[in-house]
Amino acid sequence: MLDLLSRALNSAQVKGASYADIRVVRTDQERYGVRNGVVETVAVDESFGFGVRVLVDGCWGFASSNDVNPTEIDRITGLAIQIGKASSRLGGEPVNLGPPVTSRGAYITPVQVDPFTVPPEDKLALLMEADAMMGFVKGVRSRQGNLIFIREHKSFANTEGAFVEQTIFEAGGGIQVTAVGQGEVQRRSYPQSPGRQQGCAGWEYIQAMELPRHAERVASEAVELLTADPCPTGKTTTAIIGAAQLALQIHESCGHAIELDRVLGAEAAFAGTSFLTPEKLNNFRYASDAVNITAESVRLPGLGTFGWDDEGVPAQSTPIVRNGEFTGYLMSRETAGRLGLASNGCMRAASWNRIPLVRMTNVSLEPGEWNLDDLIADTDDGIFMEMNRSWSIDDRRYNFQFGTEMGREIKNGKLGRMLRNCTYTGITPEFWNSCDAVCNSDHWRMWGEPHCGKGQPGQLGHTGHGASPARFRNVRVGVLR
Amino acid sequence: MIGRDRCESVLRRALDASEAEDADAYLVVQDLGSTRFAANVIHQNVSHGNAQLHIRAVEGRRQGRATTNDLSDAGITKAARSARRNALLMPEDPHFKGLPTPGVPPQVQTFDENTASFSPAARAEVVAVACRLGEAEGLESSGFCRSGVQETAAMSTRGARGYHATTFAGFLVTVMSGDSASWSKGGSWRVSDVDPVSLTGEAVARAVRGRNPALVEPRNYAVVLHPYAVDDLISALSQYGMGAQAVQDGRSWMSGLQDTKAMSPLVSIWDDGTDMNGWPNPFDAEGVPRRITHIVREGVIGSPVHNSYTAGKQLAESTGHQFSFGGGPLASNLFVKPGTVSEAEMISSTRLGIYITRFHYIRQVHNRGCVVTGMTRDGTFLIDEGLITRPIKDLRFTQSLVEALANVEAVGTRTRLCLNEVGFTTRVPALKITGFNFTGVTV
Repeated sequence: MLDLLSRALNSAQVKGASYADIRVVRTDQERYGVRNGVVETVAVDESFGFGVRVLVDGCWGFASSNDVNPTEIDRITGLAIQIGKASSRLGGEPVNLGPPVTSRGAYITPVQVDPFTVPPEDKLALLMEADAMMGFVKGVRSRQGNLIFIREHKSFANTEGAFVEQTIFEAGGGIQVTAVGQGEVQRRSYPQSPGRQQGCAGWEYIQAMELPRHAERVASEAVELLTADPCPTGKTTTAIIGAAQLALQIHESCGHAIELDRVLGAEAAFAGTSFLTPEKLNNFRYASDAVNITAESVRLPGLGTFGWDDEGVPAQSTPIVRNGEFTGYLMSRETAGRLGLASNGCMRAASWNRIPLVRMTNVSLEPGEWNLDDLIADTDDGIFMEMNRSWSIDDRRYNFQFGTEMGREIKNGKLGRMLRNCTYTGITPEFWNSCDAVCNSDHWRMWGEPHCGKGQPGQLGHTGHGASPARFRNVRVGVLR
Repeated sequence: MIGRDRCESVLRRALDASEAEDADAYLVVQDLGSTRFAANVIHQNVSHGNAQLHIRAVEGRRQGRATTNDLSDAGITKAARSARRNALLMPEDPHFKGLPTPGVPPQVQTFDENTASFSPAARAEVVAVACRLGEAEGLESSGFCRSGVQETAAMSTRGARGYHATTFAGFLVTVMSGDSASWSKGGSWRVSDVDPVSLTGEAVARAVRGRNPALVEPRNYAVVLHPYAVDDLISALSQYGMGAQAVQDGRSWMSGLQDTKAMSPLVSIWDDGTDMNGWPNPFDAEGVPRRITHIVREGVIGSPVHNSYTAGKQLAESTGHQFSFGGGPLASNLFVKPGTVSEAEMISSTRLGIYITRFHYIRQVHNRGCVVTGMTRDGTFLIDEGLITRPIKDLRFTQSLVEALANVEAVGTRTRLCLNEVGFTTRVPALKITGFNFTGVTV
């Protein structure tokens, strides 16, 4: 492998590149799906290829191929050079990568049980058992379950001397029920929506979900929601946001907003920009004192956990919000340099045929001190909302609206009636500044987001978000129409 | 590009390697060049090629799948055997009626040599011209120029056989000042159809006009929607329920509305994968020829699109809408019937309303009626006494799309082809809708 990598790097330099890197990636994936008692999907997917990234005349070029052999590596490297030269037609300031990256080593996601060694029959049996449990509940219209296992082996080298090899394992699974009736459609998911919970882990991660044990409850809740009272309309109240929902709130309103490439305009035509502009770094109250947010790539089983990013920068931890103050971005070598900083290792590519972009690693809300029962007891009037059903946020990550699968009224410190069609809306810094309590580590969990879209051509990123339930004051709820 | 002969050779080898009772194979070969720019500078410039072979093995009423991009004999054989092994793992599926036995798909000519050979240097030149137009007005331009070739080929032991090679070209630009932005996009299978100067000029004019936006109170307004905004709404309606799987699950907006007059009689929506006015794709991932499917006809809700599986559950026939190898059927070549009112007339007939260039981040809040939320973006203006009077800050809306299309008051005379990133296209006119519900405003 090192011969192939070196061939590309040498060829790039001979052809005029001031910098080059190459990634060779092999991805194996197993997918299983059960729908309404029928096995819908048993599939294996393989993908193998390489991508060469070069800097020529201070500008980027990238080319890739699924044909991994010396001749093709020469051709693709030449194409990357040609593209880099074309970029210089409108190149702007030459790219500055900052200090060289010379990482060397190997990393493998620690797993107790390699999921690829578990017989497929066992995986299907698990889903069928969960499906049967959901099927016992009257009133369910459709039910589904799925499992996914990914093994990605990646070799990276650059012209500065870096050479790292990584094998990343991911395991994911979940169940989902739809109930229809009374003019309503309601959905419940477990452990996370939409579809599944996913982490850098092995088969043990799936076993710990105990999908069959939760199946009947989830189905019953979906049916119960059909006749539950609707969320109060247009009310401003206290909201306790459950951990699974809060994970997506963090992802959308903090995680994307702190991507420095986005802040600097790289996504302006697609996903948008960010309200967290550079002058706000260390100079902006993003949230209340209760809020501490960290970005890190060393926290298993988060989907943003690895040994090195796709520029060879080591995994690390970065404080993003400390006691409410905005303190850090997600950065690449190039973007960090533009602020006079060093990369914190957030460049990730979805595949061998995509360039690395600044992506979330594991962006997590650190646990607070509250027990959830105590927090509810401390709340006179409000709504507990859990598990995402819908999400939307503006192009600066400022104005958001979320819907949750389920709500519970809180009255005089106690959970009350179930509420359907719960939504809440707000402005990001106002919302996070209204947070006055975060639950403790007993309630904290790392959630997976395997569908994070960014870039053109599009890339789906896999990110992690640790969260425990938290309380927010003066939240506008019940915006349905 | 590997050509018809090699595509068919790969598929034949896949079927030969399968030891299953039946099998089908679908091959997608893509070479894409994309030059992305931001703040008047090319910052991402890429080429990627891939060839993905999907194999489905069928044993009785069981089907297993495998995907590979290794097109060597060994790679194909491995995938074919995996697919069969996966099929044998499954219990019988009573709803699976076996592979379809499709007819011969029509030949559609959408391959253009000039587009196939459009070089990185040519794309950079397009971008440079666009950026100069923005710079002349003190604006920063961002977007992409892309071009490429895609081959799709299908073959099955039940006689499916299709090959389609197409080129594609796209240009998208967002122009921004400190307090305004606008965008435009164009796409076609022929690069000469895409006019980046005109598209950029359109965006620049709106961005210049959008400077110094005012705040308006969110509430119900009449809206005039540019075709880009209509594309966003129609795409959301497709995503949230034009496929039969969603209807069969009861989670589609079409559920319970079929054969009822739920929308304005001015509204007709259909899917046609062979119409040269769209971006044709004559057969689906099962090799089934695309059939015209009327989703809405003069306000009456029609039928969803099917793949062979959903069709089999209803003893119907597939409409050829298995968009990719997995997942449910998807309406991806949509048309909205044009009307008789120009966009200018829509504006002049509006006493108080909002002109919307496009929407951002539309997501479904509730299935019934397809209630969605999202933001306006890149050019939102107040219409007062029949005139666009001033730009306004972006608004959040929360609105049933079925109700919105019931409240269509006028349909534009001209349609626009909107070629979206994943090969999903709409051809849509402008719309005027009364009583569109805004629920928030950005600051």
